[in-house]
Amino acid sequence: MEGQRPRVLLVDDEERFRWTMGKLLRRRGYDVEEAGSAHEALVRIQKGDVDVVVLDVKMPGMDGIEALGRIKAIDPLPEVIILTGHANVDAAVEIMRLGGYEYLLKPCPIEDLTSKIDGALEKKRAREKLHGGP
Amino acid sequence: MTDGPTEVPPSAEARRRGKMELVAATGPAILTSALAVGFLMAGEPLAAAALGGSALLSAVFSMMLRRRVREERTKDELRTRQLLQAQKLAAIGEMASGIAHEINNPLAVIGREAEWIQALLEDAPPLPRQTAAEIRDSLAVIGDQVRRCADITHRLLDFARKREPLRQWVDPIGLVEDMVQLVERVLRGRDIRIRRCYEPGLAAVFTDAPLLRQVVLNLLNNAVQAIEQSMEPSGTITVTIGESLPGWVDMAVEDTGCGIPPENMGRLFDPFFTTKAAGQGTGLGLAVCHKIVTGLGGFILVESKKGCGSRFTVRLPRKPGEGPAL
Repeated sequence: MEGQRPRVLLVDDEERFRWTMGKLLRRRGYDVEEAGSAHEALVRIQKGDVDVVVLDVKMPGMDGIEALGRIKAIDPLPEVIILTGHANVDAAVEIMRLGGYEYLLKPCPIEDLTSKIDGALEKKRAREKLHGGP
Repeated sequence: MTDGPTEVPPSAEARRRGKMELVAATGPAILTSALAVGFLMAGEPLAAAALGGSALLSAVFSMMLRRRVREERTKDELRTRQLLQAQKLAAIGEMASGIAHEINNPLAVIGREAEWIQALLEDAPPLPRQTAAEIRDSLAVIGDQVRRCADITHRLLDFARKREPLRQWVDPIGLVEDMVQLVERVLRGRDIRIRRCYEPGLAAVFTDAPLLRQVVLNLLNNAVQAIEQSMEPSGTITVTIGESLPGWVDMAVEDTGCGIPPENMGRLFDPFFTTKAAGQGTGLGLAVCHKIVTGLGGFILVESKKGCGSRFTVRLPRKPGEGPAL
């Protein structure tokens, strides 16, 4: 389990952002899949095997906050990092209440995001160990 | 050093107005008394006595009434001005956060693209050294400028954020002293001195410490910049803390800096109003201070003279809603 490449699901309606971010993360050794909407993300989550979801808030159709609740309902295992252009304390509180791992404001350097992804991954693996037994 | 306080009328101005009211209010009494004397001289003692007595009474009443009306009017003006400023800030905040959000997304795209070009450059076959260095330099500039924009949009979002104060009992001297020491550390090696005038044994204030710290730090930074912008590179910042009126605590930051030209006094607290060079200020510092202090039930008083310096006084109620009204 430990040696596996971290699987990241990138959810953002801005295609170019997803595309370049995906390339940058892959270059750093992450296994990246992309979703252009919350619905696409939910379909992917149902298949399982996602470690960390990087989720945008403002998307047409279902927004990121609602998507977070639904992701956790389908599968509580993946950690979710919210990456948004909009700082809003109420939204941040709601994200934490819904079980989000972290809240990051766009634009942020890629290193900030990767360190959050690594932290989320560590937390997820620790939980898996706890539940799966030694 | 003062040109007279502006913005939110401080108590000094209220007192001055009080004196003017007194002068205005005694006017009619003198007139009625003069009429009574006129009757007396005309051989109408009864009429004169009645008129004299009632004149005195009516003069006292009219004086009290007028004073009361003026006081109420001053308070009303103050409230209206504060309300207008609050509404203006709220509207601008709403708009600013919308714009900041829309800008953050393309900024994120620009930042990522620059990072990707950098990555490609590392993998590409070697370019002529000069070319490679210039591309790297250009990319670094793009990165820096994205961070600069992000700093602005993040501050805007912070400004627009609705945050209810979380009040607790705070030692005003301890809080201000922490910020003074922070600024002193930055000033090390420079010819700017901070003088402290703290009233000993000052009681605690029921307020929001993190918000108040932000205000004090902002005023101190402005004082430093005002000195740097003046003709003299050296100067003194005087920080005064004391009880100005029963139930109110004043925290004043005074500098010997460039001062504020009178034409700018009315716009000091307007968001985006700045006299600092590009990249040095967002024009939000004092707008944020004003918003915070008003939210804490207080005022900011400004006194300044161009070329001599400025004094910003934060006047806070010891406990909001409990102190005597100003």
